[in-house]
Amino acid sequence: MKNKLSRFAIPYVIWMALFVVAPIILVVIYAFSSAAGGFTLENFGRMGTYAVVFGRSFKLAIIATLICLAIGYPVSYMMSKEGPRFQRIAMVLIMLPMWMNFLLRTYSWMSILENNGLLNQLFQKIGLISLYNSVFGTNIEYFHMINTSGAVVLGMVYNYLPFMILPIYSVIVKLDRSLIEAARDLGANSVNVFRRVILPLSLPGVLSGITMVFVPSVSTFAISKMLGGGTEMLLGDLIEQQFLGGAYNPQVGAAISLVMMVIVVICMVVMNRFGEGEEQAVML
Amino acid sequence: MKRNNTVMDRVFVALVFVFLYAPIFLLIIFSFNAGNSNTVWRGFSLDWYRELFSDRVIMRSVYTTLLVSILATVIATFAGTFAAIGFYGMRRRKRNVLTTVNNIPMMNADIVTGVAMCLFFVAFFHGWGAFAKWFNGIQALVSLPERLTMGFGTLLIAHITFNIPYVILSVSPKLRQMDKNLVDAAMDLGCTWMQAFWKVILPEIKPGIVSGALTAFTMSIDDFIISYFTAGSSSSTLAMTIYGMTKKRVTPEINAISTILFCTVLLLLVITNIREARQEQLELRRRKLPTATAAEAAQYASRPTSRLPKLLAAGGAAALVLCVTVMAGRNAGKPVVNICSWGEYIDESLIDQFEQKTGIMVNYQTAESNEALYSLLKSGAGDYDVVVPSDYMISQLIEEDMLEELNYDNIPNFGLISDRFKNLPYDPDNKYTVPYTWGTVGIIYNTAMVEEPITSWEVMFSDEYAGSVLMFRNSRDAMACALFYLGYDVNTTDVGQLREAFELLRDAKERGVYQSFVMDEIYGKLEGGNAAIGAYYAGDYLSMVENNPDLAFVIPKEGSNWFVDAMCVLKDAPHKEEAEAWINFIASTDANLANMDYIWYASPNEEALESYPDYYEECYGEELDPEVFEIMAPSQEILDRCQLYLSLPAEIRTLYNDLWTELGI
Repeated sequence: MKNKLSRFAIPYVIWMALFVVAPIILVVIYAFSSAAGGFTLENFGRMGTYAVVFGRSFKLAIIATLICLAIGYPVSYMMSKEGPRFQRIAMVLIMLPMWMNFLLRTYSWMSILENNGLLNQLFQKIGLISLYNSVFGTNIEYFHMINTSGAVVLGMVYNYLPFMILPIYSVIVKLDRSLIEAARDLGANSVNVFRRVILPLSLPGVLSGITMVFVPSVSTFAISKMLGGGTEMLLGDLIEQQFLGGAYNPQVGAAISLVMMVIVVICMVVMNRFGEGEEQAVML
Repeated sequence: MKRNNTVMDRVFVALVFVFLYAPIFLLIIFSFNAGNSNTVWRGFSLDWYRELFSDRVIMRSVYTTLLVSILATVIATFAGTFAAIGFYGMRRRKRNVLTTVNNIPMMNADIVTGVAMCLFFVAFFHGWGAFAKWFNGIQALVSLPERLTMGFGTLLIAHITFNIPYVILSVSPKLRQMDKNLVDAAMDLGCTWMQAFWKVILPEIKPGIVSGALTAFTMSIDDFIISYFTAGSSSSTLAMTIYGMTKKRVTPEINAISTILFCTVLLLLVITNIREARQEQLELRRRKLPTATAAEAAQYASRPTSRLPKLLAAGGAAALVLCVTVMAGRNAGKPVVNICSWGEYIDESLIDQFEQKTGIMVNYQTAESNEALYSLLKSGAGDYDVVVPSDYMISQLIEEDMLEELNYDNIPNFGLISDRFKNLPYDPDNKYTVPYTWGTVGIIYNTAMVEEPITSWEVMFSDEYAGSVLMFRNSRDAMACALFYLGYDVNTTDVGQLREAFELLRDAKERGVYQSFVMDEIYGKLEGGNAAIGAYYAGDYLSMVENNPDLAFVIPKEGSNWFVDAMCVLKDAPHKEEAEAWINFIASTDANLANMDYIWYASPNEEALESYPDYYEECYGEELDPEVFEIMAPSQEILDRCQLYLSLPAEIRTLYNDLWTELGI
């Protein structure tokens, strides 16, 4: 009976071969070919020049992921302690922004962070800027916020925070409460309960949250263009530029994509190994 | 065990929600703004909603977004459920391999998925083209289309592809939880295979299917990057439209559409949640008082009201789709012409006039710069009939055999074009082009923010106004600023000189001279006083000065660039005749006058250019400032100080690309 079921997957297996596997193979082929069509490794030779971009992208994405984790974990944890009604409403409220396209949300930040934007207007009204000027002896009219790496990180945190909260929350909320009670009965205080029971058990959620925030952060190009002003190029911008942007060179673009993909996969594998180790340690 | 959250904890959670929602509420508030600013409140109005409903581009993209999301969700849910069942029935080893492949689109960066699919589609279309040609050649029964392009179909395929894994992800656990003997039992009891599926499997995994569908829909609606690479030029999702707009002037219509979307979603969620809450209460009550009220509860649960919200939601969604379909689909089946031009570069009423006059529907798109247009054409993402590149890009396109020769018999208005704009170096025999506009590049600055009038390109590289300077975001113009300042020929092929110019730019960038690299975003930044100085085109300056009279324009003393943008038809364009009709229409004197009045770029149409001051006086009842006219259509004396960009040899173009990428780093 069961083997009969497997036939259902045949159409999708063909679909995957066509639209998942073949495109990726094509990226690999492009990465190893020259503009004229022959085999070459030259596309990777340029990677040295782009090291700065790789470094910057990974740095910003790591910062954004850590901030998301620092905000997302406590929020998930606290939410799981509230009543079911609150939990449901909170979940909906966290999902809701995702139903507006992320570009709309990012666009809104543009007008908030501009030099003459809403935040600077607010700072001016409450006298923060004159206070800053008198304390530091400067003469600024506004805080420079847009077109900085800070703004880009903010955009990443803002857009991807739900991706951190959702998996962590769904793991914590399903934790076996009796485990916690058992720990308490065995004399653990609340810090220990959290550190030795809740935290290790919620690790799978944390790991998937980290992946879901880190991958889009490291490869974004719209956020860095809109909030970063294009002065600090990220990997996504670099790739986009080679395909649809101002410096057409799909072979180099494919090579950069491939390198990024490989680095990300390695990170994930290492992280998941580390995660599995933790889980086993807990079991022991 | 439950320790309740402290007040501090609750404040923290509340702050996070404020953080998540403040930007959305600001968007909503400013959708009711009377002014066109997102930062200055000018009173309440509903103007933007009215404009939104008459804005065909936005309405069309809303329609595309909804349609692709709904179709992709339905198809992916269906396919994903079957795939999950299939995976479930497989041996472990095989299943693990397939699950890994299935996870690729979820784990991979969106941009890689998008780029990979874009490459795949283009490669497939090439192969298909060759096959169709051969196939049509050997038989005459069936005629296969030889030319496929990216569009709604590829967009849908891409969305389905990244949606299915989410469905599988949420259906698979439900299958694993299902008691394996259930199906066998059902079949033992005489169910056919299909019945077992419908009556046993499906109810068991239904929650998984529903949540999978919901995730898929969310991902589709939220997606931008994959759509961006796979939608081609003929269809555009809302996100793509917004992205295009953020590169020029953003209209608050975007706020209005955000508000509508937000409220619709909120309404749907409230309805479904009230329903869920009610059911939960029922459940609770039933558990507390077992026997007596069970019947009552059952009666309560079976009341038709519990179905109503679902129907309402479905009906609402259907009505919305229908409504937008009717609005967007009115023009299906009519001849079309696909045009790619620059942002803020046409009086849009001309499009309506043309459509009414000829019955040809215009699909009007914009690209950011000549270089970006070239990428769009080369990568296969842009499928246009008419493009409006600048001089040097035209020569490059001609050189690469990407343009079609025009049939000037279909373009009688070409005769109205002034002789000085014919047979220019980029098209010496004038076989491919009809000029659209011409103008100069200069420095625009805010007189209230600079100490003294700007006269030299030096200001683009000195620390004097560091942090308030805007530089071009395209290699040719940016390098030209540096080459002019250094006193080199702007068309130089001397690698040393180009390197020097590049170093000048990079050094300035590293010293923080540039606030950002911009194209049409310059409008907002200079008009709003967010930057003091920027190099840009004269016509755009005249548009900006209408909104901020403090702005001034100068052609620096070292000289500058003058350019001609001309309309061309792409090789093998599917709508060549429609394209020539469009070109002819735009070359007419009336269209040129309307365009000049709207975009402030000078017309190559002799008659239109000469009569523009009178036209202006007639329209506005006041004389056109001769200084304005001089900036718009500079005299030969000024043009003599300026140079036309010429096409560069291929290796120099590669150098430009490499340097440009390096500068971005």
